[in-house]
Amino acid sequence: MTQYIIRRLIQSLFIIWGCATLVFFMLRMIPGDPVIQMLGPEYTPEAADALRHKLGLDQPLHIQYIRWFGNVLTGDLGGSIASGETVTGAIATGLPKTLSLAALSFLIALVIAVPTGIIAALRRNSGFDYAASIVAFIGVSMPSFWFGIILILIFAVRLRWLPAIGYSEITEDGVGEWFKRLILPSLAIGAGYSAILMRFVRAGLLEVLGSDYVRTARAKGVREQSVVLRHALRNSLIPVVTVIGIQLALLLSGTVVVETVFSIRGIGRILVGAIFDRDYPMVQGVILLIAVIFVLANLIVDIVYTFLDPRIHYS
Amino acid sequence: MSKIDWRQLSGPQVSRRTLMQLAAASGAAGFANRLEAQHSMVVRASAARAVARQDQEPKTGGTLRVGFLISQIVTLDPQQLSQGVVAGSILPSIFSSLVQFDQELGLIPDLAETWEVSEDGTEYTFTLRPGLTFHNGDTLTSADVKYTYERTINPDFASPHANKLALVESFETPDDQTVALTLSAPFAPFLAVACTRGPGRALTPVPQRVVEEMGDEQFGITPIGSGPFMVVPESVEIGRGFELAAFDGWYGGRPYLDTVEIRLVPEPSSAVSALEAGDVDLIDPAPATLFQQLSETPDVVVVEGPSTSWRGVVMNYARPPWDDINARMAISKAIDRQAFVDSAFFGLAIPAVGAIAPAFGWAYLPPDQVENPQAFDMEEARALAEEAGIIGAQPVIISSEEIGQRPTEVLRNILVDLGLDPQVDFQQAATFSERWQAGDYDMFLHGSVVDADPDDGHWNIFYSEGPWNTYGYKSEEADQLLVATRETSDQEERARLFQELQTVLERDVAAAFAYHAKDLVAYNEDVMGFIPIPEQRYYEQVWLDR
Repeated sequence: MTQYIIRRLIQSLFIIWGCATLVFFMLRMIPGDPVIQMLGPEYTPEAADALRHKLGLDQPLHIQYIRWFGNVLTGDLGGSIASGETVTGAIATGLPKTLSLAALSFLIALVIAVPTGIIAALRRNSGFDYAASIVAFIGVSMPSFWFGIILILIFAVRLRWLPAIGYSEITEDGVGEWFKRLILPSLAIGAGYSAILMRFVRAGLLEVLGSDYVRTARAKGVREQSVVLRHALRNSLIPVVTVIGIQLALLLSGTVVVETVFSIRGIGRILVGAIFDRDYPMVQGVILLIAVIFVLANLIVDIVYTFLDPRIHYS
Repeated sequence: MSKIDWRQLSGPQVSRRTLMQLAAASGAAGFANRLEAQHSMVVRASAARAVARQDQEPKTGGTLRVGFLISQIVTLDPQQLSQGVVAGSILPSIFSSLVQFDQELGLIPDLAETWEVSEDGTEYTFTLRPGLTFHNGDTLTSADVKYTYERTINPDFASPHANKLALVESFETPDDQTVALTLSAPFAPFLAVACTRGPGRALTPVPQRVVEEMGDEQFGITPIGSGPFMVVPESVEIGRGFELAAFDGWYGGRPYLDTVEIRLVPEPSSAVSALEAGDVDLIDPAPATLFQQLSETPDVVVVEGPSTSWRGVVMNYARPPWDDINARMAISKAIDRQAFVDSAFFGLAIPAVGAIAPAFGWAYLPPDQVENPQAFDMEEARALAEEAGIIGAQPVIISSEEIGQRPTEVLRNILVDLGLDPQVDFQQAATFSERWQAGDYDMFLHGSVVDADPDDGHWNIFYSEGPWNTYGYKSEEADQLLVATRETSDQEERARLFQELQTVLERDVAAAFAYHAKDLVAYNEDVMGFIPIPEQRYYEQVWLDR
């Protein structure tokens, strides 16, 4: 197992390196010049040349790449072209927000999806099952930014229970304020996510409930509650965990638009802003981070399999 | 041209009052009246409460929370800042400069108590107020102004404002309170574009010691200025906003507010919700799409003012048939300006007859007083289009977020009505800049952003060698007029020259002039003392009635 993890980690390094390299060159292939963008209406060819030189963008591409990659190896992701802050600094302020948002959204999704999915599976084709399916389809089809705006209009503008925008540091204003500002955006993302998860929980459980060993368990007279929770549910979670790993992308991309609606400057908004600005170091740094998160998350998913199903071995 | 006395530009005040007196004296009474009417911003409060409170004594204290509709502030370093909106709305709170605009866009003292301009218009002498300090307590003297000048023109520093100081020949500081500079030729808008609080970033003093200790990058994030508020360094979070704290040592006395909190809220509907929910006290600039809703919201005051900018369709002379005046005139005559403004901006813009923005009341002529060869006439437009053979043509219109999808779509529909088959190429900001600078387009809605003087919106775009003239307009007549506007400081004369230029530009269809966007702000009713100056925000007079 340890050996497997080490091997996977080494593989991961190559994946991340490939990803970073691809981004480095693709970014420079798309049209748009960060220098022109930065100077905006004050552009003159002389000012552009001076700035290009200052930023090292007048160097040949391979020199720029070697220099950047060398710095990354020493942990230096460089400075933003557009704002002057360091990339690591921007990530340090943005990541806690996005992670808070993603974690709470995920929690909300789980709390909604797992019980509803189980009940829908057990009472297949009942009124509850149909109602849950309809709500789930609405949830999937509802764009999170739109749902976010509706939540703001109801809970912030009309009822004035919760703030409309912004984020509070848990360390500065306490858990209460942090939670108050996060609950609406998390609901906006979590609702759609829960709809997808719920469908997978339901489908997974249904499949397992029809399998031979469940029939055997029932034949032996095991109580239904025990059949579902002890025997069936754990096995039915394997596809769900797979989906969670893949859907992490959805969760992260969901935060991009929701961060904009709620004016939270997390990783998503930083990345989108940086792409618009052709802020090369920032885009490279943030994508590097996302690649790392992704690869690690999927590694964790693979490891979780072994706990869910002891038959799965890695060697 | 009558003999010009450049001394009229001397301070402590160059007001529009002077201009109006001049106008009256020269028999232009109608012009004097227009000066009074054109520039003003309209403040609409929905409740009588606001009116009743106007005579109250201002209260000290509190935090003004500003929702700022921009996704990123690139830098707060005045010499590096190129975002016009930031220069107008935020910079004036942090940095004082030599002079500043009053409510009517006349000039009044800021750090310079008085200033003299020589008769030939080339020598400027500023006398600074005594006892000025920066936020950190360092004294502010003429040496800091000189350092700022050297910083701006340093080619390695690459300031986008260096060109505004290109004519400066010598820069002297005879004593701590005196700044004396000489221009190689007269340059009428010099004070407005290079020395004003807010737009005049080229000479907005920065403290040498701090800049050198902090480094340029850091100074752009946590700057030290000499304005009424100071940046609280630990509050700065790039992309989210920052706090400004009242500066006790400001020459004008401590502002009423304790703190101004600047929060970036780029999404218009979120900003409006935040104002309605009481999460922010003021939003700037208020989105035109939701302005009607805001003006009907109880407890919200909306301010609507003329902008200092213009937009119009420019057509690329390098790409036939757009070098043909009939083709350009056909497009221009097909634009119903009022309908354009109504559908693109919900009526919250002003139909344009030229590039002189209504905020510059001293030069602006309202549409009904201008003989406009470009006036809307669909039949004539069709006839011209037939003649020029542009029916069925497929011009490429480039556009960006900043220009806006709505106005571009409205333009596209107009061209379709005329019988053309236009292609809209909506670009991200970076690519858009690259394309218009390379001249890679048939047409687009060109124009200016936040101008300190009509010079900004004319010279760059219509001068044959102007840096933003990438569509190839070249006219000796226009060039001569442009040079003349820079060489006279008599505002009455400049107004006349700009108006004459406008006639030339209209006739040549240098642009099919379309609209002037409005300057919109909305705030909570308990925000008092807001000074409506077009595209400039001064928060030292603002107080909270709560």
